[in-house]
Amino acid sequence: MQRLIEVLQKAVEFGEKLGAQFVEARYDDLALRTLERTDDTWKDIQVKSRMGVGVTCYVEGVSGYSFTASPTLKEIRAATEKAYKMAKASAPAAELRLPITEAPPVKSVRSDTLPVKVHPRERDLPYKTELVNRTVQTAMEYGTSIKNVRGLYGELHGKKVFTNSEGSLIDWDYLVTDLRCLVTSKTDSGALVVGMEGNGGTYGLDHFESKGHTPEDVGREAGSRAKEQLKAQACPAGSFRALVDEDLAGVLAHESFGHLSEADFVVTGASPLTGRIGNRLGTPEASILDTGLPDVQKTGGLWVPFDDQGVRGSRTVVLGKGVLLHYLHNRGTAARLSETATGNSRAVSYVFPPIVRMTNTYFAPGTLSDEEAIEKLGTGVYALQSLGGQVEGNGSFLFIAVRGYWVEHGEIQYPLREVALSGNILELLTHVEGATRSLQIRAGYFGGCGKGDQSPLPVGLGGPKLVIDGVTFGGKA
Amino acid sequence: MEYESVKDELLSVADTGLKFATKQDASAEFEVYVHYGSGSRVELDQGVVTAKDGVVAGCAVRVAKDKRLGFACVSGVTAPRVKQAVKESLSVVNSVSTQDDRFEGFCDSKGAGRECTFNKDILGVEVSELVRLCQGMTKEARAVDERVKVVTAACRISWDAYAVANSRGIAKASKSGSGRCRVDVMSIEGDERKTGVGHDAACDRLIHAQGLGEQAAREAVGQHGAKKLGLTSVLPTIWGPEAAGAYVLSSFGQAVLGRPIVEHTSPLCDMMGAAIASPELTLVDDGQRPDGVGTEAIDAEGHAQQTNVLVERGVMKGFLFNSYYGRLSGVGSTGNCSRGGGPFGTPIPYESIVGVGTKALEIPPGSKTPDQLASSIDGKGILITDDPMGIFHSTMSTGQFSVVANRVYLIENGSIVCPIQPLSVAGNYYDGFRRLRGVGSDAALGYYQVRSPSLLFDGFTVVG
Repeated sequence: MQRLIEVLQKAVEFGEKLGAQFVEARYDDLALRTLERTDDTWKDIQVKSRMGVGVTCYVEGVSGYSFTASPTLKEIRAATEKAYKMAKASAPAAELRLPITEAPPVKSVRSDTLPVKVHPRERDLPYKTELVNRTVQTAMEYGTSIKNVRGLYGELHGKKVFTNSEGSLIDWDYLVTDLRCLVTSKTDSGALVVGMEGNGGTYGLDHFESKGHTPEDVGREAGSRAKEQLKAQACPAGSFRALVDEDLAGVLAHESFGHLSEADFVVTGASPLTGRIGNRLGTPEASILDTGLPDVQKTGGLWVPFDDQGVRGSRTVVLGKGVLLHYLHNRGTAARLSETATGNSRAVSYVFPPIVRMTNTYFAPGTLSDEEAIEKLGTGVYALQSLGGQVEGNGSFLFIAVRGYWVEHGEIQYPLREVALSGNILELLTHVEGATRSLQIRAGYFGGCGKGDQSPLPVGLGGPKLVIDGVTFGGKA
Repeated sequence: MEYESVKDELLSVADTGLKFATKQDASAEFEVYVHYGSGSRVELDQGVVTAKDGVVAGCAVRVAKDKRLGFACVSGVTAPRVKQAVKESLSVVNSVSTQDDRFEGFCDSKGAGRECTFNKDILGVEVSELVRLCQGMTKEARAVDERVKVVTAACRISWDAYAVANSRGIAKASKSGSGRCRVDVMSIEGDERKTGVGHDAACDRLIHAQGLGEQAAREAVGQHGAKKLGLTSVLPTIWGPEAAGAYVLSSFGQAVLGRPIVEHTSPLCDMMGAAIASPELTLVDDGQRPDGVGTEAIDAEGHAQQTNVLVERGVMKGFLFNSYYGRLSGVGSTGNCSRGGGPFGTPIPYESIVGVGTKALEIPPGSKTPDQLASSIDGKGILITDDPMGIFHSTMSTGQFSVVANRVYLIENGSIVCPIQPLSVAGNYYDGFRRLRGVGSDAALGYYQVRSPSLLFDGFTVVG
């Protein structure tokens, strides 16, 4: 590793010699493993080695990026020269520049890597295939009219090394594990319905033997949910009160608000949050945070102690009790908007330059118990689990809940099939009426965030359950 | 590696890997895939320039032994790296006891199709030219109206090549290249933010960026003053070519793939020969179109790419397979092996296990102009011109979808009346195809590389 760090440092020196005002060089050596079983067949058992170097050169506030899969000095110098040439050729066209401002060097220490009891590299393949077998077998026991059961396990871990013109020297270990199950069942009328469950984050394998997270827990939940969906009805269309679970609160925090708070959209004016620091955007019950340093044992999540520009992870209150307080930054946007860098400059792999991305984004918990929340909902839709979502630059969003319940006068009436929630985030934040005391953050190996051509990036998202008025539901008229 | 010689070099690496693999374990069957892609991309985002240039290179090895399967991939295409992938794939297969009883071997050799027509002038496009194109699109957009406040323009050129060698005698390679550009415009008036998009992609010519900025800006500006629909109702909806392309890709584009067909998670799996759509609909996946950006000589496991008819005059005629699912279904591969999940593929294909994917979906144009489609609507109707939010988050199995369309217009008594605020559109994909009332004559290549005309559907619920 020492030799590699020296090679990266030489690349930085070489870039500066060419004329770059600032140079960053980073090395990833990550191992990925995917296991997938469908019914009785193993569809996928694979390992991936993702090793390479990425170099960013800055010329007059413009960045050029290049990369190579070969960690030799010759190839890294060639990548550095390409990055410099890209920046140099692009610089005259820039109307808005994001130069790096001086900061003290950052040095990592061993404790920056989150320790886990049983690291996935300490267990062999049969141990992991058995996790999936147990999941699938349990799902089969609990489901009915099953057409298909998929069990998935994924792990991603390895070194991330970084240096730059300031002499920062960062070396830490990335870790994500994930266990999931998806059950597809068929109704008497021939329609297909799904049930799913899973949990992932910066966990050791011991996590999957803990209460609520075992393969049996995951399989049972997925199977039972698919079974319940056989009797579910279509969601009515229209505007209703809503109770959204922790997963959906997370998608709302991430997709609907988090992306708009990413400062690369702010410096260009593309975000409707541009110039609105200090403005009240939501009710006092609405607070949204982003952190690379979650309490994983307590809430779950993804451990990101440094971003890919070498900035330490932090805890950023983006929306505090309804008031916009801070954006999410890379070093350039932070300098431009005179805010502190937040540790949100991330890349999917060495093939991509770091851009402003979230880490773990979540609504802050409130004071309600689960019972009080459903009582507060009164009549409306209780929406659970996420199939993802999307937001436009004008703040309009859509996200899909896997399932739901129709609730009347605080009492659950009947299950609903896939539920789509939509609206405009800036309007919706003014309708948040309350939050429960629980906080859960989910991350994972499967899926993740997409931005530009960089996908999927592991992120955490979560929150408590939220009671919201006036949510538009797409469904049956 | 250089474009002219890249196939030979990759075939050599693949051959080295295969020979090494066979030496390690003569009882196993191997497949070596080697990929090399070079590209430059420039983005001009409201005056902020970012530029990237690099080579994505790597190899993937699949091994099969007594119906046990293993996969490993590594970044890099040097001999030591391909040998590492071989060793890791063997370590996988030697450490598992689980078998795939349905596996009958890797792809058999079956000819090769043609590569796309590639204009080599694309190779000569410099970074400075990409910057100039981005500046041009931006300038055009800003000139349309002072409400055009945010413009993001991006251009890229790239070329890719891959080689496949396996124990069944396949040793083939394919290469292609393309240029792409896109401009996103936001027009702002008070709290109202309206968007427009322009794009171009081509392999047989240089990209045409001229006019895209103006077109996108006019689209954005033209939506100001959008009214609220104020209605929850079932209405006829016209999906313009961009929207229709996304609809087709997220529904049939996923439901015809070999895996959900064989595993019975596609609602189309038992529908071969049945009428599943209006007779006006024909759908083809054309992996051999000369000007198709997805056109290659071979697919991702070495089978010849081909043209496949999926739906003909409303009747289900074919599904798409790689060799694995093709054997299970009894019809063989259709040349649709892919590496990279989902409808968008991946810039790093060697990291993905083989699957089945569309190459270039295409709906032949109908006879009605867009105006004639609109005029066939009595009372109220909706025109959707963007690819709606959430369209790719829908579940192919259930067919239920609920999306939010942002660029939408109200149709009343056969005419487009005014832009309306974003609205929710929900229904079932497959019911929609059965209720397809009209196919437009305006086929165009959408951003997701689906060539579709406007489609007029009955029966979807709109909330706005």
